[in-house]
Amino acid sequence: MKKLSELINECKELAFDLSYTRAKQWKEEKPGRAIVGYMPIYFPREIAHAAGALPVAIFGGGDRKQIIKGDAYYQSYICHIPRSIIELALDGHFKSFDGFVFPSICDVIRNLSGIFRQLNIGSFIKYLDFPQNFSKDIGGVFYKQEMEHIIHYLTSITKKEVTAEALNHSIDLYNKNREMIDFIYKIRQDFPWRLNMEDVYYIVRAGTVIPVEEHNKLLEQVCYHIKENIGTPQDKVKVVVSGAFCEQPAVGLIKAIEEAGCYVVDDDYQLGSRMIIGNIDAQSSDPLMALSMGFIKQSQYSSSIYDVSNPKEYRLAKIVKDRGADGVIFASASFCDPSLLDAPIFQNAFNKMGIRYIAFQYSENINQYKVIKEQVGAFSDSIKLWEDEPATVQVTNK
Amino acid sequence: MSKLIYTMGVDVGGSYVKAVLMQYDNETGNHKLIDKQTEKIRKRNPKDVVVDAVDIILDRNKLNYDKDISYLASTGEGEMVIKKTGHFYSMTSHARGGIYFAPQAKTIVDMGGLYVRAIKVDGRGKVIDYKMTGQCASGSGQFIENISRYLGLAIEEVGEISLKADNPEVPSGICAVLAETDVINLVSKGLSTPNIVKGINISIAQRVVKLLSSLKAESPIALVGGMGMNAGMIQAIEELSSESKKNKLVFVSHPDAIYSGAIGAALWGGYRYYKLKLKKPELLSV
Repeated sequence: MKKLSELINECKELAFDLSYTRAKQWKEEKPGRAIVGYMPIYFPREIAHAAGALPVAIFGGGDRKQIIKGDAYYQSYICHIPRSIIELALDGHFKSFDGFVFPSICDVIRNLSGIFRQLNIGSFIKYLDFPQNFSKDIGGVFYKQEMEHIIHYLTSITKKEVTAEALNHSIDLYNKNREMIDFIYKIRQDFPWRLNMEDVYYIVRAGTVIPVEEHNKLLEQVCYHIKENIGTPQDKVKVVVSGAFCEQPAVGLIKAIEEAGCYVVDDDYQLGSRMIIGNIDAQSSDPLMALSMGFIKQSQYSSSIYDVSNPKEYRLAKIVKDRGADGVIFASASFCDPSLLDAPIFQNAFNKMGIRYIAFQYSENINQYKVIKEQVGAFSDSIKLWEDEPATVQVTNK
Repeated sequence: MSKLIYTMGVDVGGSYVKAVLMQYDNETGNHKLIDKQTEKIRKRNPKDVVVDAVDIILDRNKLNYDKDISYLASTGEGEMVIKKTGHFYSMTSHARGGIYFAPQAKTIVDMGGLYVRAIKVDGRGKVIDYKMTGQCASGSGQFIENISRYLGLAIEEVGEISLKADNPEVPSGICAVLAETDVINLVSKGLSTPNIVKGINISIAQRVVKLLSSLKAESPIALVGGMGMNAGMIQAIEELSSESKKNKLVFVSHPDAIYSGAIGAALWGGYRYYKLKLKKPELLSV
């Protein structure tokens, strides 16, 4: 068994490999294999797996890709992630990719799918709509049909028939994957000093660019190590980070939050990997419907789901309570409409519920965290020292 | 259970690591500064400098970190302090340190290596409001240090020399880079060293007074941080503030002002120690 530090280094290499080396190798190992790229937030990776394709998350270039061409495609008031994705595409990073799925999240991502189509990148482009009706007969059937479209695209490349047995096997593998990631978060909740958030980020993100079977093996070893009583506790407050579900903050920012005096006990950084809560039925005679209903009934709250009967502010408040968190950090990418539109809803509700929070904005390519660190540091101190009193100073990120 | 505990504070700044050992008295609030150590970072790894500073204090006082130190708190660039119990944001620490030096203070001015920050506080050291200069080095101790090097002065001499000025000339530029060019010109013009240094102090003091005015600062005002020990700077602030204010502001300084962040962190550490002992003992190493 590898050491924890070796596993983390391996995950770090994989997570930020913008050449997608492992995915390319995997495709070349056997004829008939395909790579499907998907954008945030969520894509049912089980269907790609069952169709003989490798689903690979495209989170943009972060702070590791200079934007030269990408800026020409978007106005200055648009977020950063589509620019870096275009830059990656135009620089040939997706040459081995066969198709792309753009899950419904906002107009920008929808328009990005149009740009990919215009630029003839990949053999298929699918804009994936999510159901906003939560009954099986309407939303369930609709979403199942959306997935069937993607399976059709994929099987026309891989020439592999997607059987119920294959789908159930894929569902089972991803169930195990989520279970182990959930275990890591459970450990973080109770013993956050055993594995810092930066390392958790690498471990989860690595799983979005390699086959699930390989990620599960990595996760098994990580889970083994963190069961042990490792690391030294520090006097930090526990926080939940919300709003960073699409454009990813740079690792330096993820690290800065913990360095400034917080333990992040839950987050939505790579929400897609943890979108479904609990297991999806892996023995169904209609596994596509099982996947569909899994999304409808077992989804994490998110900006891409408009469920008026289950308001997201209460769902986030429940996460705060269940994780034993002291407060919430709303971290939104600049110009991210879904996140910035949700934030006031959360904040109004939290003012009434007495949940402490701060809010700031970031861009995937920023590498100066001083102001954010000061804001988070002041927030952490206000909880540690004055938790029984109302906050008097709001350090704002202007 | 003994009411006296040892806590340590380590303030990692841009130029120096400051470490203190405090005796924290939870019962009477009569906390004592037991020992202090300043280490210049120079080109060394700040993490190693921190270890050196802490070890020097522990050795000198025959103490063991694991057995005797109830809480070691970092402040400033806290990630450079690997072995610690917790971290406090520098403004929180300096606010508390300022109250330690001047319990009646209503405003604390932290004049550090990289910026100047004016903080309104209550009697407990809780931050009520603040204003700070931007990230530009022109309002900072680092700037003074650079100038002293150009002039061939030790940093400790800068304050006293400034007091001897009779006709200071204030550099025209706001930017530190331009001001440094200005200083070179002043030297070549034959201006005396005290007058150059006083001019620099006045240029920084102008910004401090502006900060105090925009904060609507109340007296007494404790001057802390590395520049809080610079007598020339204190004089310049007092002179400028008496020119611009109808009600004269009262300033308080302290010879240990450079340790305010470390002292504040150590004191908050003591406060947290007792809080954690009741609520989350698993987070304490002692």
